Amino acid sequence: MEKKKLIEFRNIVKNFDGQFVLKGVNLDIYENEFVTLLGPSGCGKTTLLRILGGFLEADEGHVVFDGQEISKIPPYERELNTVFQKYALFPHLSVFENIAFGLKIKKMSKDVIEQKVMKMLKLIGLEGYENKNVTTLSGGQQQRVAIARALVNEPKVLLLDEPLAALDLKLRKEMQYELKRIQQEVGITFIFVTHDQEEALTMSDKIVVMRSGEIQQVGTPEEIYNEPANRYVAGFIGESNIIPAVMVEDYKVRFDDITFDCVDFGFKENESVDVVIRPEDIDIVSKEQGKITGEVLSVLFKGVHYEIMVETVPGTTVSVNMHVIRNTDVTSADGKEKISANDFYVDIEDVDTLDDKEIIALSNAQAWNPATDEYTSVARIEHQLEPQVGTYPVAFFTAGGTKIEKRIFVVNQPFVKNEKANEAVMAFNFFITVDEIRESHALDTDLKTWANAQGWKLSDENTSVELFVDYDFEAGEIKEGVYKVTFSTTGRELKIHTTDAAKEGEEVGLTFFAEDIHVMSKVVFEE
Amino acid sequence: MKKKQNLWGKLLIAFLIIFFYAPILYMIIFSFNESRSLTAFSGFSLKWYRHMLESKDMMEALYTTFSIAILATLISTVAGTISAIGLSKSKRILREAVEQMNNLPIMNPDIVTAIGLMLLFITFQVEKGYVTMLLAHVAFCIPYVILSVMPKVRSLDPNLADAAMDLGATPLQALWKVIVPQITPGIVSGALIAFTMSVDDFIISYFVTGQGVKNLSIMVYTMSKRVNPSINAVSTLVVVIITLSLLLINLIPLLLENYSEKGRKRRKLFLRTGALLGVAVIAVLAVRGKERLEEKPFQGQVLRIYCPGEYMGENVIPDFEELTGARVITEYFDSNEQMYIKVANGETYDILVPSDYMIERLIQEKLIQKLDREKITNSDLLVKEALYLPYDPENEYSVPYFWGSVGIVYDTGKVTEEELQEKGYNIFLDPKYKSDIYLYDSERDSFMIALKALGYSMNTKEEEQLKEAYQWLERCVSTMDAEIVTDEIIDNMAQARKALGIVYSGDGAYIMSENEEMGYFEPLEGTNLWCDAMVIPKNADNPDLAHEFMNYLCSYEAAYDNSDFVGYTSPNEEVMEELFSEGGTYEGINAYLPRAGYEMDESFHYDEETKKIISNLWSKIKIVASNAGK
Amino acid sequence: MKKFSQLALPYIIWAVLMLVLPMLLIALYSFTNQGNTIISFSFTLEHYGKFFTDKDFLLVLSRSLMIAVKTTLLCLMIGYPAAYVISRTGEKIQNFLILMITVPTWINMLVRTYAWIGLLSEGGLVQKICLWLGLGEVEFLYTEGAVLLGMVYNFVPFMILQIHSALCKMDGSLLEAAADLGANEVEAFKQVTLPLSLPGVINGITLVFLPAVSSFFIPKLLGGGQFFLIGNLIENQFITAGEWNFGSAISMIMAVIMMLLMMLVKKAESRNQAQEEEK
Repeated sequence: MEKKKLIEFRNIVKNFDGQFVLKGVNLDIYENEFVTLLGPSGCGKTTLLRILGGFLEADEGHVVFDGQEISKIPPYERELNTVFQKYALFPHLSVFENIAFGLKIKKMSKDVIEQKVMKMLKLIGLEGYENKNVTTLSGGQQQRVAIARALVNEPKVLLLDEPLAALDLKLRKEMQYELKRIQQEVGITFIFVTHDQEEALTMSDKIVVMRSGEIQQVGTPEEIYNEPANRYVAGFIGESNIIPAVMVEDYKVRFDDITFDCVDFGFKENESVDVVIRPEDIDIVSKEQGKITGEVLSVLFKGVHYEIMVETVPGTTVSVNMHVIRNTDVTSADGKEKISANDFYVDIEDVDTLDDKEIIALSNAQAWNPATDEYTSVARIEHQLEPQVGTYPVAFFTAGGTKIEKRIFVVNQPFVKNEKANEAVMAFNFFITVDEIRESHALDTDLKTWANAQGWKLSDENTSVELFVDYDFEAGEIKEGVYKVTFSTTGRELKIHTTDAAKEGEEVGLTFFAEDIHVMSKVVFEE
Repeated sequence: MKKKQNLWGKLLIAFLIIFFYAPILYMIIFSFNESRSLTAFSGFSLKWYRHMLESKDMMEALYTTFSIAILATLISTVAGTISAIGLSKSKRILREAVEQMNNLPIMNPDIVTAIGLMLLFITFQVEKGYVTMLLAHVAFCIPYVILSVMPKVRSLDPNLADAAMDLGATPLQALWKVIVPQITPGIVSGALIAFTMSVDDFIISYFVTGQGVKNLSIMVYTMSKRVNPSINAVSTLVVVIITLSLLLINLIPLLLENYSEKGRKRRKLFLRTGALLGVAVIAVLAVRGKERLEEKPFQGQVLRIYCPGEYMGENVIPDFEELTGARVITEYFDSNEQMYIKVANGETYDILVPSDYMIERLIQEKLIQKLDREKITNSDLLVKEALYLPYDPENEYSVPYFWGSVGIVYDTGKVTEEELQEKGYNIFLDPKYKSDIYLYDSERDSFMIALKALGYSMNTKEEEQLKEAYQWLERCVSTMDAEIVTDEIIDNMAQARKALGIVYSGDGAYIMSENEEMGYFEPLEGTNLWCDAMVIPKNADNPDLAHEFMNYLCSYEAAYDNSDFVGYTSPNEEVMEELFSEGGTYEGINAYLPRAGYEMDESFHYDEETKKIISNLWSKIKIVASNAGK
Repeated sequence: MKKFSQLALPYIIWAVLMLVLPMLLIALYSFTNQGNTIISFSFTLEHYGKFFTDKDFLLVLSRSLMIAVKTTLLCLMIGYPAAYVISRTGEKIQNFLILMITVPTWINMLVRTYAWIGLLSEGGLVQKICLWLGLGEVEFLYTEGAVLLGMVYNFVPFMILQIHSALCKMDGSLLEAAADLGANEVEAFKQVTLPLSLPGVINGITLVFLPAVSSFFIPKLLGGGQFFLIGNLIENQFITAGEWNFGSAISMIMAVIMMLLMMLVKKAESRNQAQEEEK
């Protein structure tokens, strides 16, 4: 069926206070389509809709409606109607009066208005509600009234600005079907704005995925889901595993040091690409049968399926020595105050930026009143740190003058680099008392603090990488001695949706078909 | 179309801003005027500011206004907030009941609230004054605070306080650390409303005050009958205080924020409120000024005087205070009747200055005490015309203050003396002078002229005659378009705004001294020879000091200052003669020296029945006049 | 949390004492005769009779109501467009304008009224402007015009502020919705803005009408001695005539009239209020 082009956006540019919200959008919309503008908040989808509705004027570009340029036409003369985000029902008017509003403005005769409004009420299933006050209606009912109020004017296009956002989950699902039904019944174009990808997939004939004022992809829900144009679309629509890869040649893609068959072609040889594999397309098989292997990290039960995380490439690891020592707290002469602290290591590069607060944290310095067990503050620190490798004394004082002396070891700590995973980790040996370990409420976090463990992206030092802690002692029964503590990043993790269960820690094989690997060209997004 | 709308809108706003600020600007400009005039600027001068600063009345009024406003705002904000929080957790019925009660002051005209509170204080015999004014202000401010805080409290998550207490806060801490910060915007706007209402209030303060406690409103109301540029000065001061506060409120948080960068919004609000209070307190303290301490015979004692407005020389009170070390509180009345009501209702004063017939009444009703003549040695200096008058034949109760007659002040350009001689009071019924006459708002003297015009005694008890007099007056106000005025007649006649007016001789003297074109005439039908005198009420707190004051006022200095400034005839013989004779302020002005010994002249006697009839009839005349007006 | 409900108790006692009791006292006085003590009072309708049988008193009442109505209408005519224009300006200008309108209300009402005396009096600025405009020598001070002017000057800020806050509360998307449904600016104003700003208008009317009907210093300062309104009548009964019982009766009459008027207004508003509650 050949459809007629109804709306054309031509190079629409809009900026607010110097921020470009739309960066030259081109889009065609056809008759009798259910079109969804999909994207996170701030992507410009609502702005585009408001430009079409006439509530905003584009800085540049044209909007052509039914063959006519409408950029300069005020909203009240446009042949389209809007369902507003929070419905914007007139609180001083009844349901009937709200729906009849547009018709009254057009000065239609009373009986025609009545007839049309009643028809609408029937369409939206609110017969008998005509005299109700709109503010007494439920969210779903208000929603329907807002739709009826717009549709009764028989617009060629209905604009819907996140109309379901205010509804609860169950109602939202209901309204999704309802909206689709209404659209099919009245047979006009619906332009629907949402940030909910599921909503978009369910209802649309066509989805327009937007990001930062640009259209990323336009297509049917199937196209968008199965053939996302880039990693952004893939990530936004449905769940996915996105892996950086290299297109070795047509039909051959290589990632994580393995070359796979695929169905994609037309890329340059050795072109950097992104690969997306949907979680439901991966099957867990025995280690021997898998195209790749890995360790099961977690298994979550999700109802119809399990969500299983498998680590196929190990992460970056660093181990340090934890010196568990005796308690060395100092008690004040009158016995009313206690203070404790530990020796600690610090990297030579960090000495310059080390402040008192950090010293207290690293040394785990604490002061308290033994009688009441209430913490008091460490009032003062004395040290003469220099950015040179060596050992420096440090003294901590309470407000009452009780003092404890400890050492700071300034070392030139090497860090573990992992070029392939684009990350690095570093941690220090540390001293800690038995009590401190036993009293810790969140030992993993504390261990990271004590060891000053850090992970970061090689490409950007300011982006930190989360670390996981591994050790093999029982915190409750720890004694003095030296223990090994390992900090590591996660490597390549793949998410798998399957109905087969797996055990955590198990080594498994993973397999998928060549057509399940979707190769996408790499895009660079500027933020 | 849109452009045009914009233009009209801008014009409207511009017009409004001019409308709002023009009078204020005008007032500020004229506060620097050299002359008394409110219409012609004759030169720059700060004298009205000096007057203002010297006038204890004005400074006290300023202090009262702002101290009451601040206290009332503080109290009502705290009480209102606490109550709103309490109410939000109370049963619906209770909440609605309080809402209804709060609507009483909000939905009733101020005057009804005012009268209610006045009756309340009188019924429970609470002495009216600063405290009652404060209580009244708190009473009408709290409902507004609740009204503004309540919605904020009710929109709070009901679990907030529970959450705080779950985390170990006591109920009080939960209130202060969690709930109050959440509703701060409501509290601040409530406090602002309360402050505005309090500063702006007149009617309620007017009815519930006593003991001479005046706020700005009351002061302006009682002083505005005669042109008094000091009011402009004091108003300018108020404008300056408000402007400065606004500036400081907006600046102080900015300054403080430089020190603590993390100044969050809530703190900003608190800072603003704090700044507002700080500014206000400083202003009040500055106004309050310093008080000297020296050893004087009546050091630290207080004298309360209740006298007619604009009735005292400028230096009389300050000099007396300087002399004795006492503090004088003066309160003004519009009419003897007004004074009587207050005194009869038990308000305490040390000195009253009523007229003859009222003194008679006070004696009859045993409301005033006999004087100790030994203490008033200066009474020898008084003229005999003002002594031993029928209302107090032995002068046991009273010491004359001013005396004089009632007469017609006329514009010699429009009216001749011959015509007055011929027509007497009936000239007030002559259509020639329609819309060109003033009557004075005094029931006694208005009936006096009517009765005299009809040839009756002004002390008649015959209801028929009174009825006729009523008709005479009714005819005057309904056909002659007469305006009934009080003291504004003085300035208006000095500007010759009307051809004829009824005035007291003293006012006549002042008018003639200001405008040579004006004359004063005592009709041949006779007039009221009156005398206002000082008396001491029975319940006076400090009769000793009152005697001292009486004695002082008989002295040459005080009497001279008084008479010279006001224009009324002094009972002090020397002063009277000096002012009337060559070189005196009232040289050759006949109004200054009332006629004596004329047989048709009378003085008033008090008769309860007649007083009531006249009082009722006069109220009616005023209404008729008003209704006839437009 | 229940504990907090006790916080309201002191205020309830205070409200009964300071708000309700005074009204009861007025009622008591209005139905009794002078000289009554609380123990021995005799019920009488004399004072009400006196008021309602005298056409002059009734005239004062009707005139006061007329003045108040005129003041209210004038305030509405000036205040609505002003509030509307202000509500359509940008946030900063809006805040500034609202401040400009609020500041005069912080300056004492009597002071503000007093300021007009000089402007309006003979030879004053207003007269000079009228002369210059060729309107002839118009007398302003001590006329009804002056009283109306004084009242409008004093009360119009309340009208503007109330309507402005109602207009600001209105969701901007409602106007878009109206435009979307085909209403041009004029129609959108008529159909949406106006009805939705009604609560503000009603609040404004209340805030203007109530003080206007009972004010007695504005007529006294600007209307001269002969301008006698119901407020002056009540003041006169209490301050000069000493007829407290009669004065109380007039106060009661006034309170009842106001209550009836407010009930009418509330009725008109109740629909809107019900909607507010739902939210």
